Amino acid sequence: MGKLWKFILLGSIVLILVLMGLGLGRDTKKIPTALLEKPAPILRGPALAGTDTIDIADYKGKWILVNFWGSWCGACVGEHPELMRLDRLIKERDDFAVIGVDYKDTRRGAMAFLRRHGTPSYPMVFDPDQKVAIEWGIVRAPESYLVNPDGMIIKKEYGPLVRNWFNTVALPLIEAYNAKKKPGAS
Amino acid sequence: MWIEVGHFAAILALVLSVTQMVAPMVGIRTGQLAWIRVGRYSAFAVFGLLTIASATLIHAFMTHDFSVTYVAQNSSLKLPTFYLATAMWGGHEGSLLLWAWLMSFFIAVAAWKHWKTHSVSMPWVLMILGGVTLGFLCLVLLLSSPFERLLMIPPDGRDLNPLLQDPGMVFHPPFLYLGYVGFAVPYAFAMAALITGQAKDEWILATRRWTLFAWTMLTTGIVFGAYWAYYELGWGGYWAWDPVENASFMPWLTGTAFLHSIMVQERRQMFKVWNLFLIITTFSLSLLGTFLVRSGVLSSVHAFATDPGRGMYILGFMAVMLLFSFGILVWRSEALKADNRMDAVVCRESTFLFNNLFLLVGAITVLLGTLYPLALEAFAGAKVTVGPPYFNKVFIPVMLGLLLLMGMGPLISWRRAAQGQLKKNFVIPAILAVVGIPIALFLGIDHPYAIVTVMLIMFVGSSHFIDFKRGVHSRMQSGSSNPFSAIWRMVGRNKRRYGGLTVHIGILVMCAGFIGSGMFQEVQTVIMQPGDKVKLSGWELTLDRYHKVRKDNWTATEAVIIAVREDGHSVTATPQKRKYDNHEMETTEASIFSYFWEDLYVVLGDRIPGRGWAIKAYRNPLIGWVWYGSFIIALGAIVALFQGRRLKKTQEAN
Repeated sequence: MGKLWKFILLGSIVLILVLMGLGLGRDTKKIPTALLEKPAPILRGPALAGTDTIDIADYKGKWILVNFWGSWCGACVGEHPELMRLDRLIKERDDFAVIGVDYKDTRRGAMAFLRRHGTPSYPMVFDPDQKVAIEWGIVRAPESYLVNPDGMIIKKEYGPLVRNWFNTVALPLIEAYNAKKKPGAS
Repeated sequence: MWIEVGHFAAILALVLSVTQMVAPMVGIRTGQLAWIRVGRYSAFAVFGLLTIASATLIHAFMTHDFSVTYVAQNSSLKLPTFYLATAMWGGHEGSLLLWAWLMSFFIAVAAWKHWKTHSVSMPWVLMILGGVTLGFLCLVLLLSSPFERLLMIPPDGRDLNPLLQDPGMVFHPPFLYLGYVGFAVPYAFAMAALITGQAKDEWILATRRWTLFAWTMLTTGIVFGAYWAYYELGWGGYWAWDPVENASFMPWLTGTAFLHSIMVQERRQMFKVWNLFLIITTFSLSLLGTFLVRSGVLSSVHAFATDPGRGMYILGFMAVMLLFSFGILVWRSEALKADNRMDAVVCRESTFLFNNLFLLVGAITVLLGTLYPLALEAFAGAKVTVGPPYFNKVFIPVMLGLLLLMGMGPLISWRRAAQGQLKKNFVIPAILAVVGIPIALFLGIDHPYAIVTVMLIMFVGSSHFIDFKRGVHSRMQSGSSNPFSAIWRMVGRNKRRYGGLTVHIGILVMCAGFIGSGMFQEVQTVIMQPGDKVKLSGWELTLDRYHKVRKDNWTATEAVIIAVREDGHSVTATPQKRKYDNHEMETTEASIFSYFWEDLYVVLGDRIPGRGWAIKAYRNPLIGWVWYGSFIIALGAIVALFQGRRLKKTQEAN
């Protein structure tokens, strides 16, 4: 074996080991979204209950949490109490809205789910053929996006929202945003 | 109580694997044979103890002992008995124990068989294999113990993952492990040869059959996995270039290269360092595969529940092993010089050389494709997945190059091929290869790769046939008048050669299957209501009805679909969406009808509320050939395995 070959062989082995080491800490379950820092896609659809059409454009200028769920999803049951708590919290704020999107589901199933686990007051879009979910790049349920008042997506939540999500995750973002904007200008 | 016995046995085995490492060293230092013998008996004891450990775990499954965490997580009262025993390797902890157990079995066999014949290498072999066992047992006992008990005993277990409740899954892991672990013995002999500086042919003779056995098991394991993916995962394919599939494929490639290049060392005393490099690489890649699967570094269908600590440990283990092995190889390689040089460009040695280069290039491209996402994320922070397009682009040419060499190899003589002989040998295969072009076009094949494959299949097939015919012919002239007894005697005298050529034919059949199913698959996706019809090249599918089915531990929605072929042949497909009682996830049970030329493959997709269900129907041409080919490969490998230790000086046919 020539010197060069020895060097190449041992070098590539060390490189592979280093790569593996670097790879260890990653979370392979998270598929990154291409929507971060981009304007929110269109979200229009029939309401789950009633006959209205819900459109995200009507909430422009507010913070919006778009939460994707379905009655077929086990983790959504666990997340639901946190959503109910969020629903109560944002009633006191006029700068924050939540839109639920019930996708790949039947109206009956979704209604039964809400009857059992509680019906929040925020609007729900019914998306049986996943039109909205595909547009927003949803991989699993539950997943949520946070949209800022400029209509930009600034965060994606994979899986259920953490406990006390509004105070630990949303508030710091809102405060940082407001601090950037000059007082008086909206 | 039994599980504690098993646990204790495993701990003892760990202690004894340390003995197996240390005692032979002391023996070498002091020159006392007794110490080395202690190492040997330790190896036997480790195997016995791990047998007890594995047996207690299986016993815990059979008796529904849910106080054992691992049993509670991977079994349930409703689990069919057949899967109770095999659930032992349904999860991470148990499959590592299985690995360690198979490993100890091989070590015991090696210590028993090669004790007299390889007295110089033996202490080192025991030491190195003891080290590998120790590494695995530490992982089993310290980081992922299957012997843990729960404080609160659940009334029922969580059940085995439904995807694993399938006969294919019962065989896939053990065979794969037999392959991975089987390479450990040749690896240890190679290391011993390096350390003792006796890298003559002794280690090759000792390891030839081990390697062949391991290679056969690995091939079978991979094919089982592919077949399982085909009928259980319901996506119409069998190979997705998933990182973990690649992890099993890389050692296969280098192992195949090794099997070929040891022939050159046997015959011509060349490629010595290269062979050592190949077998060390093969075993390293086996370990790498385990690492990739078990550490969660890469996302894949095999991504089991992972924890970083475990990954760190395996990485450390890998680092020690890789640096130690390749370090010694680099340091000692000077001592090994080839006795011969290539005499000519055109000779059998050079076909082997190119075969090795192609296989290694194949392995490197697969390795690059597997590690590229890791590298990109580590250095650029971007996430990518490398998918089939890359692998197909780089791998098909490698495969075709290998086929070309495969056709040439048997007809070229060692050392130097005479011009006249070449002409005589290759005229017919070359003509047949050209004839392959119109045949391909007639079959409606228009893709260049596919046409080249047809040509090469003709070429290799005819060259192997000519070789075989010549052998029979010369035997007939030298006394045996009956062709069958001539064939019998010829193959009997030369099991390795003709076993190997049979494997080639199997590979050929498989390649036809790859090209057919890979390039000519047709698929229809439709939403169907009862009474709807859909056409799929030569088949017409009519949906009869949907209904619910209930069996053992699952319920399912089943579609009943009448499929009629052009010639009037009709079958009833019943694809299902199954929901197992203890699981959220649904599994897809495809309905598959296999024929010689094609498979009809029907899958029930998602429900589209108010409009019926999505039905996916595939026509997979020649896919059965992948499985037929693997049978032929197994057959050839078994024939080759029967050849005795010493290479008989038989008259070569050429």
